[in-house]
Amino acid sequence: MPNDATDPFGEESIDRRQMMKGLGAGGIIALAGCIGGGGDGSDDSDIQFLTMGVGDNIEDFFEENNAQFEEEHDITLEFTSVTWDNAQQTVNNRVDGNEAPDVGRWPARWIPQLVGKEALEPIDDLMESEWGDRFYDGMAEGCMYQGSYYGAPWAASNKCLYYNKDVFEAAGLDPEDPQLDTWDDMLAAAQQIRDEAETPALGLAGADAIETGSQYYHYHWSYGADLIDDDSNPAVNSSEAVDALTFYTNLHLEHEVTQSSPLSSTRQDIRQMFETGELGMVIAHVYTSLNIDEAKENGEVDFDYGIVQVPAGPEGRYSLNTIDAISIFSQTEVRDLAEELLQFYFDEDRHFEYATNKGFMPTIEAVGERDHFQNSENWAPYIEAAQYARARPKLSNFNEFNNRMVQAIQEALADQKSPQEALDDAQSDLEDTME
Amino acid sequence: MSIAEEYTETPADSRLKRSLTYLWQRRRAYLLIAPVTLFLCSVIAYPIFETFRLSLYESPADSNIETYVGLQHYVEIFNSDIFYQLLSQTGRWVVVGVAGKALLGLLIAVHLNQDIRGRKFFRTAFLIPWGIPYAISAVVFRWIEHPQYGYLNAVLLELGIIDQGIGILGNPNIAWIGVVVADIWIGTPFMAIIFLAGLQSIPQELYEAAAIDGAEKWQQFRYITLPQLKPVILIATLLSTIWTFVSFDTIWTMTGGGPINTTSTLVIWIYQVGLKNGNLGEGAAYSVLGFVFLFVFAIIYLRIYTSGGEEL
Repeated sequence: MPNDATDPFGEESIDRRQMMKGLGAGGIIALAGCIGGGGDGSDDSDIQFLTMGVGDNIEDFFEENNAQFEEEHDITLEFTSVTWDNAQQTVNNRVDGNEAPDVGRWPARWIPQLVGKEALEPIDDLMESEWGDRFYDGMAEGCMYQGSYYGAPWAASNKCLYYNKDVFEAAGLDPEDPQLDTWDDMLAAAQQIRDEAETPALGLAGADAIETGSQYYHYHWSYGADLIDDDSNPAVNSSEAVDALTFYTNLHLEHEVTQSSPLSSTRQDIRQMFETGELGMVIAHVYTSLNIDEAKENGEVDFDYGIVQVPAGPEGRYSLNTIDAISIFSQTEVRDLAEELLQFYFDEDRHFEYATNKGFMPTIEAVGERDHFQNSENWAPYIEAAQYARARPKLSNFNEFNNRMVQAIQEALADQKSPQEALDDAQSDLEDTME
Repeated sequence: MSIAEEYTETPADSRLKRSLTYLWQRRRAYLLIAPVTLFLCSVIAYPIFETFRLSLYESPADSNIETYVGLQHYVEIFNSDIFYQLLSQTGRWVVVGVAGKALLGLLIAVHLNQDIRGRKFFRTAFLIPWGIPYAISAVVFRWIEHPQYGYLNAVLLELGIIDQGIGILGNPNIAWIGVVVADIWIGTPFMAIIFLAGLQSIPQELYEAAAIDGAEKWQQFRYITLPQLKPVILIATLLSTIWTFVSFDTIWTMTGGGPINTTSTLVIWIYQVGLKNGNLGEGAAYSVLGFVFLFVFAIIYLRIYTSGGEEL
């Protein structure tokens, strides 16, 4: 047995010096594993600016302006963009790990969570100055929490209802006078499209929590229902809420005017269906029209569309308003420089360039009053919709709240529960969660 | 004096003394692996300990303050319906996924083990799914199963089997099948390659002797291939079970755990509760339970595996 004579760890196999070298190398590797790996170059920058979702259409804008800011202030700016999927986790991780950026641009609905962690600097001085007076009041208030401003409104988006004029014409509807003032009007048009045209009449999103909520809440609010009461307690199962969810689910289950399988469709799916001419109506952002116009210029699609206000319900009309804020983090050691970065990016011309490129609503009043927004067929309905704007409630655990609410919507859409049962169960769970 | 002699010469020696002697004999080996042991402790043991600790605290998303709550999270979890739903769905996901991968992998391996034309090409081709990142494969399958644009629906519509697209991933009753099919497609090549390696290590003489004795192909497979392949099957399915249990990318990319949480597994829920909703303490408690399930399963599995006297 050859192995009997071999002691792999015996005196002959390795001498003391070799062993010490091995130990040393192993120790260094272990130490490197424990304490290394954090070098992201951030120590070399004077200011860190974190944003999210910077796509091809706006990348050049940031590169050019960041370079200009660096040159003007003779500093190094570290600019990072993360995807939306990872955005909230990235921000939380950086805050929790004491590696927060100096300045961040993100959805204002996340403000409560980070204020709880004392991670944001109030910027009341800025927002209550002449500089802050330039913002639309409603948008500025969207960045306010517990009486203080924790950000400046960087961009905003709201919604309108698109309709495909070609589909309307094919269904015998008047494309120039579509009669889409109320939900019932919309349903009547959708039923006619269902009966007279081959294209699905209405896009309904049901697959993704945030997007499904953002589509549904128009119905919920317009029926007079709310999500929380005055004391911030859940209030999702009022009779108005049940009426709203009943109408919403009946669009699919009873009237069959939606695309097949709303529970498989994200908001992006139905937007793309509309942008390719395969849908009669959809509630969407302004960039849908910008995308269609670009596709038409490139010869990729050929249809006409119209934009009207989101239909009104029995208790009014609402357009979901989302505000992105730009905030200064408490961990910053360059507060003055951070404020200068804010002032730099909120220069009117710069803000105009951003809003027009990206397809977001301007937040500075003077920019919104420019001809580009006032005279554009695409932008005008959205400027008008600002008067119906409504934001989601500011809750520190809004994700959890919204997920449960969307579960109820899905249960009703899948015909697993009646709207009343689905909302009652959601209310009960939310009360437990928020007690 | 040899080690064997040290162990056998003095029956009166205490067990402790023998152990110390053994350790002393191997002191250099232990010294050499000490750095790696320390490293593993720091990157494996510490996070596990920290997860246990965190599961005993309330750690909300909007606060830096942790409050000790003892076993409250565990009590709430065991009293919740969703936990049992998740257990059932995770079990279904693992059993169907691993069985599918193992059966399909075995079928492919047996065929690739034959002397067929283009064997090298097929072996390479069957590896492709394993080489594609899970998330990309999941996106591809999501599109294949898309109710409006998917190939699957297009084929069914073309054949006249359906008159409008089926939203597989949007149907709470069948969404899990749409996801598990993708997982089987992704994981099968690994099983096939492992099984193929096992098949090639079986001596041909056994088959020749069986053939002389008049054994049919199926009998050869039943009484030679399967018993000879048993250790490989057991270790491959153990690994696949662990990977499938902790699998995240495929489900999250295809459905995000929906609709109505019907494709959620324990791992998806941990992410949802702990990271998306920000309840780190509750998420940690779910993680601990998942760890315990997997640990107990691995022990039972290895007991069964070694019960016949075979070892890893």
